Amino acid sequence: MMDSVTWKIGGEAGFGIMASGTMLCRTFSRAGYHVMATNDYPSLIRGGHNFITVRIATEEFASMNRDVHILVALNYESVEKHKEELMDGSLVIFDPKDGEWKEGDFQKKVKLLPVPFREIVGKFTADPVMRNTVALGVTVALLGAPFERLSSVITDQFKKKGEEVVKQNLTIAKAGYDFPSEKSFVLGPSKKKERLLVINGSEAVGVGAVRAGLKFAAIYPMTPINALITFLADHAKNLKLVYKQPEDEIAGINMAVGASIAGVRSMVATSGGGFALMVEGLSFAGVVEAPLVIDMGMRVGPATGMPTYTEQGELQFVIHAGHGEFPRIILAPSDIGEAYSLTVDAFNLADRYQVPVFVLTDKYLNESQWSLPQSALSGSVEIDRGKLFSSDSKNSNGEFKRYSLDVSDGISPRSFPGMKKGLYHADSYEHDEVGHVTEDTSMRTKMSLKRLKKLEAMKKDMKAPKIVGDSEAEITFVSWGSSKGPILEAMKLLAAKGKKTRLIHFSWLFPFPAEEATKLLSPVTRLIDVEQNATGQLASLIREHTGILIKEKILKFDGRPFYPEEIVEKL
Amino acid sequence: MSTVTPDSLKTNFLPTWCPGCGDFGIWMALRDALANLRIGSDDGLIVYGIGCHGNMHDWVNMYAIRALHGRTLPVAQGAKLVNHKLPVVIISGDGDCLGEGGNHFIHAAKRNPDLTVFIHNNEVYGLTTGQASPTAQAGFKTKSTPEGAVDEPVNPLTLAIASGATFVARGFAGDMQGLSALMKTAIEHKGFSVVDILQPCVTFDKVHTYQWYRQRVYKLETIPENKIKALEKAMEWGDRIPLGVFYKENKPTSEDRESALADKPLVDLPLTIENLEGLLNEFY
Repeated sequence: MMDSVTWKIGGEAGFGIMASGTMLCRTFSRAGYHVMATNDYPSLIRGGHNFITVRIATEEFASMNRDVHILVALNYESVEKHKEELMDGSLVIFDPKDGEWKEGDFQKKVKLLPVPFREIVGKFTADPVMRNTVALGVTVALLGAPFERLSSVITDQFKKKGEEVVKQNLTIAKAGYDFPSEKSFVLGPSKKKERLLVINGSEAVGVGAVRAGLKFAAIYPMTPINALITFLADHAKNLKLVYKQPEDEIAGINMAVGASIAGVRSMVATSGGGFALMVEGLSFAGVVEAPLVIDMGMRVGPATGMPTYTEQGELQFVIHAGHGEFPRIILAPSDIGEAYSLTVDAFNLADRYQVPVFVLTDKYLNESQWSLPQSALSGSVEIDRGKLFSSDSKNSNGEFKRYSLDVSDGISPRSFPGMKKGLYHADSYEHDEVGHVTEDTSMRTKMSLKRLKKLEAMKKDMKAPKIVGDSEAEITFVSWGSSKGPILEAMKLLAAKGKKTRLIHFSWLFPFPAEEATKLLSPVTRLIDVEQNATGQLASLIREHTGILIKEKILKFDGRPFYPEEIVEKL
Repeated sequence: MSTVTPDSLKTNFLPTWCPGCGDFGIWMALRDALANLRIGSDDGLIVYGIGCHGNMHDWVNMYAIRALHGRTLPVAQGAKLVNHKLPVVIISGDGDCLGEGGNHFIHAAKRNPDLTVFIHNNEVYGLTTGQASPTAQAGFKTKSTPEGAVDEPVNPLTLAIASGATFVARGFAGDMQGLSALMKTAIEHKGFSVVDILQPCVTFDKVHTYQWYRQRVYKLETIPENKIKALEKAMEWGDRIPLGVFYKENKPTSEDRESALADKPLVDLPLTIENLEGLLNEFY
C-alpha cells in the first residue's frame, strides 16, 4: 500500500495532457485524497513537449516532489526526457509503437508496462487524441481505485459535449482500466473528512475576488493569470460583474482606477511585462488615493523571458514601481488557501487605506491545481469599504474635502461621482483638499505626508511572519510566496533524518514587518534564505529593514519550482 | 432644486490660459451645453487629460478626474461601466488623445461606449511651449520642427469614422454658440461621440489664427448618408474646412452589451454572491 504516489504524463501539446491531470486529481480528491498537479509546457499551442505531474496522497502535503512513481509516455520524447526522474520500482507506461524500450535502457530498476494505446483507441474507431483517456483508465486501475470514481468524473467533464462523447470516453477509459493485470501502486485508504475541491491559484484568486465583492476587472491576457480571465468572463453574467479585455495593460489599469473612483471594487491582473506598462497607472492610483487590487503573477524575465515558467523575480519591482512616493501594500500567498484569503484581505485593505494592494503570485501557484476543503472558500467574508462620504463629511461652507488633511491616519472619506453634495476632483496633479491643483510648498508637503501617514496606520493590520517547526532548530529557513510548500516538504525529509529545522515565512511583505522580523531573525545562528530568483530579493529587503545579513542562500531561477529533495541536497 | 447655469458650473478659480486662447471658447461652450442639458455639478463626471485643455479641470464645477496624459478614455470607460446612468464627458487634446492615447482612441471607438470626447485641436503642444502635435500639418514650423513638420498629420475625423465612432463632428472654438449646440448634440448621442474642435493657439501658432479659420470654415448642411461619403467630407481641408456632423449612426453601446448592467449600475449592486454553492461546485 502506498501513502503517496507521483504520476507524470507527457506528450505533445494538443494531446489532452492537462485535462487528464485535472481528471485524475478529481477522481481521487472526490474520494478524500489530497492531490496536486503541476504543469510544464512551452509557449506554443501544438507540438512541443508538455507534461503534467500529479501527486496523490492519503495525508495532506505541501508541494510536488521530484521522484516519479508512474510515467505515462504518449510519445517517444516523454520517455527519453523523464528517464532520470525515475526510481527503483517506478513504472513506465508507453505504446510499443513509440519505441521498444527494455528494462536495461534505464539507470534505475524500473518496470515496464507496454500499453497499445493506439490499438485500443483504434478498436473503438476513436480519435487518437483520446489515448490520454486510456491512460487514465490504466492509472486508476494501478492505484487500486474502483472504476466508478473515474467514470463519474469523465461524465461530468464531457456532459456539455453530449451523451455520445461521454459514452465513447467511458468505453475507452474502461478498456484502459481493464488492461493491467496487476494493481501495483495501490493507495492506502483516504482519511476523508470533508468535501475537497480541486482548484488552481488563479481560480482561487478569482473566488476570493468575487466573494469580496469585485465588480470590475480589466485584464489583458498574459500567462500565468489567464485562468482568472476565464473564471471572471464565465461568471460575469451570473455574478453581475464586468470583465473587460482592454487594448493593453495601460488601458487595463486606467479602466480599473476609473471604476474604483466611480465606486466599485476593481482589479487588474498581469505578469511582469504587463505590469511594467501599468507602472504609471499605479502612480495615478497612488496620488488620487484610489483603492485597487493588482494580481501580479510572476514568471521568468527579463523581457519576454520564459513565459510559461515560474520565478519570484518581481518582489523588489512591485515595492519600488511607480514614479513619486506613495504607500502600497504587498501580500504574497504561500499556498492555495492564501491565494483565496489574501485576495479577500487585499480588497478590504485597498478600501480601508485607499491604496493599491498587490497579490503577488507566480506561475507555479497560478497554474498548479490543488485540493482544498470547500469550507476554506465558503466561510463568511467580512467586507470593509473603509471611510465613505456622508453628509457630515462636508465642511462649513458646504465643500466636501475628499483629501481632508484633518485626519490623523491619513485616510479621508471618499465619495463617488453622482453623489449629491459629494463633489470633488480626482486630480493626477498634486492637489489641495478638494482636489484642485496646487504647487504651494506647504500644501504639497502636507498632502505628501498625508498619503505617507497611511504606512504607519497600516502597520496594525500587517501580519507577522509565520513560524513553522522547532524552536531548537539548527537551521532556520527564510522564505516568501510559493516557495513555502517545497520548504515544508524538505523539512519533513530532514526531520526523518533527525535534523531539526524551522521556517520563518513572510506572506505579508510590505510595509515590511521590521520589528517582528528583527525579533525573530536576530537570535538565529544559521539562517538560510530560499527564493526563486537569482539575487535574493527577500534577503535584500530584510537587510534594508533590519540590518540583518543572511549569508546563506538557496536560489533557483531556471523556471522550474523547487523540489523538496533539491533543497535537502543543497544544504 | 437649484437651476443649472453656465455660471453655476464655474469654480472660483481664474483661468490661466493665454489671453485669446481657443480654450476659453470651448470652456464657455461646454458649460453652456451642460447647463442646457440640465447636468448639474453633482450629476455628471468630466475626465480631463494633460495639456492646456486639461487645466480646464480646475475651472469647471463638476465631478472630475484629471487622468494621466493620454489616459482619459480608459479611465472614462471604467467609470462609465460602473455607473452607466452617469453622464461622462471627456476633455482631451490632440497630443493627449491622438499621440499618447492613440491606441485607446481606436479601441474606444470600436467599443462604442456612451461617452463624448472633445478634442482641443491646436496642432501644437502648448503646455510644453510649442512642439508639433500629431495633427500638425506637414511643413508646420514649431520648436520641435524648425524646418517644418515632415510627417503627415493625423486626421481625427477619418480616424474616428474608420475606427467605429458612432457620432463624429467638428466644431470651431471661435464660434461659441455653434460649438455649444454641437456639444449638446454630441452629449445627447447614445454611443461614442467625437468632436474635433479647431482651437487657435495664439502663442505658439501664428498661422492658424482665428482669422485664418474664419476665412475657411463653413457649415455642413446635412449629415453625409454613409461612411464613405462621411470620409470624403472629413478629408476636405485647405481653402474650405467643413464644420458640423460628419457621421452619425445608432448602435448598441459597450454598456448595452454587458449583461451585468441590464438592471442597475454596478455601483448600486449588492456585494454578496447569491449561489455560492453552485459557484464552488464547478471545482468539485
